[in-house]
Amino acid sequence: MEQTATTTLVDSRGSACPGPITDLALAYRRSKVGDVIELWATDPGVKPDVRAWAAKTGNQVMSIEDHDGKIVVVVQITKR
Amino acid sequence: MTSVIEVAAPSAVGRTTNKMSIVMFSGTADKFIPLGVLAQAGAAMGMEVEIFVTGFALRAFTKEHPQLPFPAEFAEMAPALAQGMEASHVASWDAMMRQAKDLGAKVHVCSMMCGVMGLTLDDFDAELVDDMVGAATFVQSAEGSETFFI
Repeated sequence: MEQTATTTLVDSRGSACPGPITDLALAYRRSKVGDVIELWATDPGVKPDVRAWAAKTGNQVMSIEDHDGKIVVVVQITKR
Repeated sequence: MTSVIEVAAPSAVGRTTNKMSIVMFSGTADKFIPLGVLAQAGAAMGMEVEIFVTGFALRAFTKEHPQLPFPAEFAEMAPALAQGMEASHVASWDAMMRQAKDLGAKVHVCSMMCGVMGLTLDDFDAELVDDMVGAATFVQSAEGSETFFI
């Protein structure tokens, strides 16, 4: 039986590097292929870091948006 | 071997190794910040992280949790730095180390320097240290990986 894909919101606002990418890694550990993780952060390093993390782990960055200092990253889990 | 200041050097980009090895030698507070950041970031990237603790760094990993000194040349900057780190919510080095270990990082203490300093495995915080090994074990385990000396 197939499990339904879920979207998880991870709020790392206020957390300094490497906090946000660690929070993403912790959510990734609990995820499955097809899931989406939405990461909120304020540390600007998260933008290049999330791309590096996705390249390293084989997952996909769907979008990175800036909303008045709140950075919203959407990652699709394509590899476990 | 790559030194800490060369972390972002282009030569490090494009490597395909999935392992990070760190020799932690220094005993001053400033050096423990890159240790925590590198270990936690490497572990978050899904890398195997191996840390070999030796020399002046050993005491920081003991159950005593001694206050780490700042090197004299940065002593003047220390209060402002501490204040800035608190304002930016930068985690303490041992919190980063615990997080890295939770993600799979391994910490080994150096048998030779432990002998020199009269330390046994029982003297170390078991949440921070996995085991005691000799240099050859670390050299063998670090083979082919990105290695940092701090």
